[in-house]
Amino acid sequence: MRNKLNVYSPYVIMLLPLLVIYSVFYIVPLIYTAIYSFTDWSNYSSAIQFTGLSNYRKILEDNTLFVGVKNSLVYAISTVILQNLIALPVAVLLNSKLKFRNGFRAIFFSPAVLSTLVVGFLWSYMLSSSDYGMLNKLLASFGIGPVNFLGDPDTALTAIILTQVWQWFGWAMVIYLANLQSISEDLYEAASIDGAGRLQQFFSITVPQLAPAIKINLITGMISGLKVFDIVVSLTKGGPGYSTETILTLMFSKFSEGNYGYAASFGIVFLMLSLALAALLLRTFKIWEDRLN
Amino acid sequence: MKTTSFSERFIPIVSFLLMCGLTLIIAVPVYYLVVTTFKTSYEAAVSPLSLPSSFSFNAYVDAFVKMEYPRAFMNTFLITAFSVAGVILSASMGGYVLNRKSGSKWGKIIFIFILAGIMFPYQMSVLGLYKVVQSLHLMNTLTAVILINIAVNIPFATFMFRSFVSTIPGELEEAAKIDGAGFYRVFWIITFPLMKPIIATVAILNALTIWNDFMGPLYFIQSREKNVILQEVYRNVGQFSTDWTSMFPMMVLGVLPLLAFYLIMQKYIIGGVMNGALKG
Repeated sequence: MRNKLNVYSPYVIMLLPLLVIYSVFYIVPLIYTAIYSFTDWSNYSSAIQFTGLSNYRKILEDNTLFVGVKNSLVYAISTVILQNLIALPVAVLLNSKLKFRNGFRAIFFSPAVLSTLVVGFLWSYMLSSSDYGMLNKLLASFGIGPVNFLGDPDTALTAIILTQVWQWFGWAMVIYLANLQSISEDLYEAASIDGAGRLQQFFSITVPQLAPAIKINLITGMISGLKVFDIVVSLTKGGPGYSTETILTLMFSKFSEGNYGYAASFGIVFLMLSLALAALLLRTFKIWEDRLN
Repeated sequence: MKTTSFSERFIPIVSFLLMCGLTLIIAVPVYYLVVTTFKTSYEAAVSPLSLPSSFSFNAYVDAFVKMEYPRAFMNTFLITAFSVAGVILSASMGGYVLNRKSGSKWGKIIFIFILAGIMFPYQMSVLGLYKVVQSLHLMNTLTAVILINIAVNIPFATFMFRSFVSTIPGELEEAAKIDGAGFYRVFWIITFPLMKPIIATVAILNALTIWNDFMGPLYFIQSREKNVILQEVYRNVGQFSTDWTSMFPMMVLGVLPLLAFYLIMQKYIIGGVMNGALKG
């Protein structure tokens, strides 16, 4: 027992790269951000001074952050719901003996490998309200429009949401497919002997059995939904006005203006929000799972 | 005697048609993206969905030059390759230790410490990160982006490696040790090769997100000679213009590498996402 350190040292050495990189580039920045959110750190003066809660007070006075928080939340919730409402039934269909199902899977997943930035640029051309916009051209042939999708505050956020549902439902679908493969056929056989119809089987067997995948999709979808950035940059640039700004696009503009301390306080608000949301989701799932068991 | 009911025959047909409709919704924008690259601005405006009247790759050549494509590609490739390698090396060793020492107190504490990173999105601490990168004199270097990518992806990867190591029996390592192999030798010769499935999963998941990451380079790379493909797309396509002929090839060049990768590795990529979800 005396040479305890010797026995353990190879373990410590193998842990070291992980611990050092993770601490320096993840934990320390987190602490720094918290500290600098209480300062006036900026591009304009070299001295950094503690200013107490003034950044947070400024947030309360500045309406734009509320718009950003609201948009991020609306975006995250709507995208997650729509994506999963499409992905789950599609996965169930593609898990049955459908012709060409592997081809469908590959096609539906494919937008997920495209860069979100480029997807945003592509849709900005397709949704354009000028004569060149493909979608408006299509609508015009039915005698509708033109609709200024991206220029109208009411439709711009919806456009962002729909392009992202288009891009990412395939990812959620694949996660449902993984889960579906682990559901035992016996459950369905027993149910059909009991005389349960297809629809009834879907709601009483498939959906509860998919609880793990639903949980993963909703939680990761919510967290990545709050991080929405690339699509806004390329599709609407936060406009028209501030109507599609999100927490991260606002944080980036404060950063670009050189107001680093203020931008840091946005990060802390973001942290609080995502923690609260994750806690809420986990709690909800616990209640659901308890009821299932 | 088995009679197939009406709905029994009807449902597969309707499902198939539904899937075809969904395919159309997915495929049309992608088709439009590609087909527009061969059109003049006039042609693209008048008949957006028709096939181009002629196929010329001149626009691609122009875009290739304007984006300094080989350089931007190389930077993206270096960032992705070194980040993925870094994640795999650090997380495989760390996950291994945390699994084999999961009974000890410090093993548990360190694991929870690392797991916390899954819950906090790193984007919120980007300003602290800016300060750290500045004080290490790493601003405007590929190294900064690589190290950040590694740190960001460590928590989930470590979690995956740690659970995977449970499937590797400790007896194998014991046997090798009795044969006189040292600790590191046992890890690299015996354990690491057995981790192949989880290495592939982690590599695929990380390669996708890191290749398409725009925010990291945007904050930490300022000079053009170090920027990545997406930054080139951003600086050239960023201003909406009706000069379709020069914009669309750049967009295609922006997504082409991963799309090609997907076409070749489709089975493994989808498998990787499935695996990642099941373990997570």
